[in-house]
Amino acid sequence: MQTVQIGSQPITLKRKTEHTVVAAVDTSSMKIGETPKGMLITVRGACVWKQRRQYRYLRFGPFIFHVTDENKRDVYNALRGGFSVSPYEHNNNSSPSLLQMPTRIASFLERWQHTMLSKTVTDGLILFDGSLTSGVADTSTQQMKKILDEARKRGNIVLAFSKMTNLRSNGYLITDVLLGHKPPYLLQIAGLKPKPPILLLGDVYVARFTKGNYSFRLDIDKEVPITCQIEAVEKLLGNDLFSQSYPETLRLAHIFCTFTANEVIAMQRFIVHKFDLKIINRPDMHKLLFGPFGKGENAS
Amino acid sequence: MKLYKKEGNIIQILSFPDETVEKGDYLLIQDNYVRKALIVQVIDVQFANIPGIFEELLRSLPDGGEQVKGEDFDPLEIAPHITYIQDARLLRCKIRATMENEILNPNSSWLPSRSKSTIKKMSIPTLLKLAKVDGKLPIILGGTKDSMLLTIDASSLDGRLNIITGKKETGKSHLSKLLMLNLVGYGATVVVFDLNGEYINLGVTSDGKRNGYYNKIHVLTPSKNFKVALKQLHLRVLLNILVHALHLPGTSTREFRHMWQSLKERDNLTLHELGEVIRNWRCNNHVRDALFSRYYSLVNSGFFTDNVAEAMLLEERLFRAKKEGGAIVINLRNTSSMDRQIVVEYVLGKLVELLTNWKLKAVFLFAEEAHIYLRETYWDDIITRMRHFGIFTTFITNQPNTIRENIYRQADNIFLLNFTNEHDLEAVSRAARADAETVKSIAQDLPPRHCLVLGKAVKDFPMVVKIKALDIKTMGETRLFFKDMN
Ligand SMILES: Nc1ncnc2c1ncn2[C@@H]1O[C@H](COP(=O)(O)OP(=O)(O)OP(=O)(O)O)[C@@H](O)[C@H]1O
Ligand SMILES: [Mg+2]
Repeated sequence: MQTVQIGSQPITLKRKTEHTVVAAVDTSSMKIGETPKGMLITVRGACVWKQRRQYRYLRFGPFIFHVTDENKRDVYNALRGGFSVSPYEHNNNSSPSLLQMPTRIASFLERWQHTMLSKTVTDGLILFDGSLTSGVADTSTQQMKKILDEARKRGNIVLAFSKMTNLRSNGYLITDVLLGHKPPYLLQIAGLKPKPPILLLGDVYVARFTKGNYSFRLDIDKEVPITCQIEAVEKLLGNDLFSQSYPETLRLAHIFCTFTANEVIAMQRFIVHKFDLKIINRPDMHKLLFGPFGKGENAS
Repeated sequence: MKLYKKEGNIIQILSFPDETVEKGDYLLIQDNYVRKALIVQVIDVQFANIPGIFEELLRSLPDGGEQVKGEDFDPLEIAPHITYIQDARLLRCKIRATMENEILNPNSSWLPSRSKSTIKKMSIPTLLKLAKVDGKLPIILGGTKDSMLLTIDASSLDGRLNIITGKKETGKSHLSKLLMLNLVGYGATVVVFDLNGEYINLGVTSDGKRNGYYNKIHVLTPSKNFKVALKQLHLRVLLNILVHALHLPGTSTREFRHMWQSLKERDNLTLHELGEVIRNWRCNNHVRDALFSRYYSLVNSGFFTDNVAEAMLLEERLFRAKKEGGAIVINLRNTSSMDRQIVVEYVLGKLVELLTNWKLKAVFLFAEEAHIYLRETYWDDIITRMRHFGIFTTFITNQPNTIRENIYRQADNIFLLNFTNEHDLEAVSRAARADAETVKSIAQDLPPRHCLVLGKAVKDFPMVVKIKALDIKTMGETRLFFKDMN
């Protein structure tokens, strides 16, 4: 838990309707079963963009991995190579535990999609799920910086939304602080000092865009001047739909990558039929019901 | 297909999209370990209740409800597996029989193994053979879904009470014609109460040529070629007409008996003399008026004649039909409602009389919309006394609730065409031979000309059949207001 200060004056926002591409990325991973030797993991990523009032998507996956204690290191390194992720700064020699594998594999895919969008979109708004914190787990600062640089070079601005946050101000979660102020507005958050090697690559805000008690933590590439950051948010307001303060493009990206119970059953069938693998421990399908928004900063 | 659940006599089976199973199909669930099999019929096809599917559908709709376009990079080709699961179906099936050593019995108390049973479709001919739906007098009703023929035996209609019912224009009369022509073909005597004059051309093909039935279809049109002489009439029959069709009160009925006796003694039973007797009879004026009004109804119907030679047709044709098979079509098309009742009273009375004296063996009676002309007391009569004498009735109606409940309960065969109305189906569900669930579920989805056959004809294995066409001239063209305008 970190304690921060909230800017005393909210920044009032105006919708800017000049046409701007909005693109969003999300990935999802889950364990779809256990085998006598390890576990079955599935990942899927989705990019959604809104261009001239239409949403389009590009989906990658599902990819399925059978990860065992024996092969996890190889799988991990192969993926790292495959998604051309530079070696990350610490714990370089160890691969994550089996239990961490799903999220690790997903973040490879996610960073790869980030890279892709940052290199293909121009003058657009790129929405990430989570925060712009680097140096944790698989988010190498170097890679993250590269993504943001690439994006900026093409006139894009990266905005990261997270629903879950543990930042508090005066004992309250920052997203719970509601002002008697009429949305849409931003509240600037100051005093955030992550412990090294964790780095904060964005300026942090609390964003409340619509009526109702919904607000999100919003990180915006800190290399972008504040005025441009605010303008980016205003363009986002003018170019995307919002429900409960959350941009539709990002919500769709989330929807397109998350797995439904039905899909999990289909993948289990696929594995059993195609690879004759015995699945011994299946997840409870009834727990597979997701909320409408992204995973938040802790999950990815 | 996989066995999923059994509750009472309902079995639920999971089926995948490549297994095309429809309502009405029969399935064989074989458990080779106990060497038994269940024969079940699919009565409903539902989506399998896959956890989270509702959320999945909800989530796949963005704000505004428009489908989002996009591309999938799906190297493992999982997508078809997903739709496969999405389209999995749950078949609700009703247990119809157990098969053990090729013998069928209605027992459904055992449970086949879920993991070891095999489930496969059972073709109608296989089932018909097992159920021994065969015989020497086949009637081909038409084709089943898997383009096999559904054949019943004429003897399954013999001595039976049948109901043909369904919505308007679904093909009830057509099926009735098919059944009666086949019966005639096997030498049976058939009488049809033809309300709309649509059976009169059964002897003629669609292009106007005579067909094999031409000499066996005898059309009797009341007051045209079909008349009765008082002389031939039993007092009982005439009294039935007076009381039931013409509502003659009791006192007048008593007087009428006396008049009739006096005329009969003088061998003077003519219309004219009857009128004279009523005029001159010593009785209360109310009685006289009452009798006169009925007398004129009789006269005006044109159905009565004093010329006995003119009035022999019914009996004559019945005897001919008895010898070589034939149908007496009583054409009630242009007959007023009162006259219809007179005619029906007369015909039924005559039939009972001839059957009682064993001048006729048995008669298959086809009655279209009987509630229009059949008096209250006949309904019970038809299933008890008349059946005993040898009148085997088939009711044809598009208003199932006009048929008495006890008729449904006693019905041996029900030919059910499409119904969408719940109330109509409710009525039919009362039939002992039908179970409500089967009736409601299958009948609502029947396309026109398709019939769910229930009862003895199919040994209580309900079957859906597309009734075959008949090469007969149908009733004159439908009169339509807008026909010539476009
Ligand atoms: N199995 C069939 N094959 C070919 N034609 C058919 C078949 N069944 C019905 N028809 C035709 O469809 C039309 C309607 O059929 P039919 O008169 O038998 O219906 P219905 O149910 O008796 O109608 P209604 O309720 O008006 O009495 C007729 O022209 C008939 O010839
Ligand atoms: Mg009809």
